[in-house]
Amino acid sequence: MSDKHISMQSVRKTYRFFTLDDLTLELEPGQIIGFVGPNGAGKSTTIRLALGLIAPDAGEIRVLGHEIPRDQALAKREIGFVSDTMRLLPQATLGWHMKFVASIYPGWDDAYAASLVKCFNLRTEQNVRSLSSGEHVKATLLLALARRPKLLILDEPTSGLDPVARHEIISEFMDVLRDDSRSILFSSHNTVDVERISDRITFIDRGRLVESDDKERFLDRWRRIRLQLPPGTDEPRLPHVVGRSVDGQFVTLTIDGYSDELLAPFGAHVREVQRMNLEEIFVATVMHHREVRGQ
Amino acid sequence: MYSGIHISQTDERPMYLQILEQIRQRIAAGDWPAGKELPSIRALAAGLAVSVITVKRAYLDLESEGVIVTRHGKGSFVADVNGLAGELQEERLTEHLTAAAQLARGLGLTDDDLAARLRRAKRDLEKK
Amino acid sequence: MNTVTRKLIAKELYVNRLFIVCASIAGIVSVLLCTTSKVGFNVGALIWISTIVAVGVMLALYGIMNERKENSLLFVMSLPLSIPDYVRAKQLGLAACFAVPWLISSAAALIFVLAHPGAPDGLLPYLVLLCVFLFSNYSLVLCGALHARSEAVTSAVVIVTNMAVTLFMFLLGGLDEINKYMWGPTPVWNHTFWAVLAAELATLALAFALPWFFAARRRDFI
Repeated sequence: MSDKHISMQSVRKTYRFFTLDDLTLELEPGQIIGFVGPNGAGKSTTIRLALGLIAPDAGEIRVLGHEIPRDQALAKREIGFVSDTMRLLPQATLGWHMKFVASIYPGWDDAYAASLVKCFNLRTEQNVRSLSSGEHVKATLLLALARRPKLLILDEPTSGLDPVARHEIISEFMDVLRDDSRSILFSSHNTVDVERISDRITFIDRGRLVESDDKERFLDRWRRIRLQLPPGTDEPRLPHVVGRSVDGQFVTLTIDGYSDELLAPFGAHVREVQRMNLEEIFVATVMHHREVRGQ
Repeated sequence: MYSGIHISQTDERPMYLQILEQIRQRIAAGDWPAGKELPSIRALAAGLAVSVITVKRAYLDLESEGVIVTRHGKGSFVADVNGLAGELQEERLTEHLTAAAQLARGLGLTDDDLAARLRRAKRDLEKK
Repeated sequence: MNTVTRKLIAKELYVNRLFIVCASIAGIVSVLLCTTSKVGFNVGALIWISTIVAVGVMLALYGIMNERKENSLLFVMSLPLSIPDYVRAKQLGLAACFAVPWLISSAAALIFVLAHPGAPDGLLPYLVLLCVFLFSNYSLVLCGALHARSEAVTSAVVIVTNMAVTLFMFLLGGLDEINKYMWGPTPVWNHTFWAVLAAELATLALAFALPWFFAARRRDFI
């Protein structure tokens, strides 16, 4: 338990129009968790809870072994936080911010910071006010990465970035994973990126944890199967069917819990077995869960 | 970015499979000779900007195929088909066969039954 | 006080450097203006007061509200500090930002009264009470801004304390025990003076202590 970088157990946070309930989230060192959910699902709330910026109404939170929110100052010594809504101080330059952060964190690496400035195509003399939103995110990421934090918490770090910038940013923070004692919590709408780099994926919807599993297992579990059933044939009873659509003779089933043996008896009718990408899995999962909960 | 190996997310095949096949191709072509040390799982993951778990899966599969050999704490190496990997695979086969023989005895299968099951298993494998 | 708090106080001074410098210069210039003529004195005095009050308002509004609005609060809170650390750093930082122009302007005014033959030394008690009032008034604004959760409330606090300045000057000037000796050649430090001073200092202390009990205890910061 003390090993984990993030441990949130049965956390609850109630607001007037929204409740985050029974949230359990664990991040091991050396791991990246992809945190995916629709807007308003509670991703940012979860992240703010992890940082101690808001206090839970129930449940336990420990980050890097420290009790949160009580010891957040200690925990934040080794956390790098980047959020697309975060803004740096408008009355100062990037260079000032770098000196400021360097004076607070002993782990600051000047050489690495300088290389990131070049790589991200930023200028230290530039006033923060004049940075575009993409440059702003890059600057914030630079300030977070250059001090080599143990835990990186990224809340939509690639939103609003052009493909080149996205590629640069992802390469940089993937480098963090060369060290198996560091970890990343990556919250994003960009399911393509999440699918690619996450070790574990957690889905959240309307304040509740919907699913959490290893990325490879997720991709193995889900399939879309197209059957052709000539008139008079019974539709095979397949387990784990989460979605179903019919078009004449053709039936398309969405399955969560696929294995090759499942289809063996119905070989003749199977026209196609398709893997699903994370976005499709995510949408299917959320829709299914909303149905199950009567929403 | 790690030069040479490319992963496409629009490819039908899963990412771990793409990595696996590209490594296998290089080994088969001789570009990665026997005994060459593979990049560490984390280094390759960071280089390709792909999750560690995906690279790990590719390496595990390569190892179970006998294409690479992982020495605990030392790293992964291209298998020397004439030597080490072959030996390891032989050992594994003996283990599996012994276990199969024990199970067969427990089930009361005759030698012929066991042989028939083995043949069917091989056939199914070739079908895939 | 830990490193981060100290650095944030320094950051507050850096970030508001323009306000501080301009207000300090304005304070000195307004006093110089007072030395010129009767009209110059009236204008100078007005500018002197307005500057100090204005810098207080700017600091409270920009120092606190803007940080929340511009989302730089998230950046600051991502630093290794707790909520009480932040409240303390903000409070002391913005107090320091005000203290610089206030000290300079107050000193200039006191020197003016002492040195200039046209200004009777009897004015000193009134001036001292006014200067201390301006600081305790600012600390009330600061206290309000630290607790307020909306721009509307902060603006209300600012407006009320603004009106309080003129009210104070009027009331203070109306007190007999102050009035009698104001235009005399020697300063009179009587009971009334000490009573008013004590009240001002008590307000100041309260305004500084309150955030430590309320704002710092807040558990939901963002």
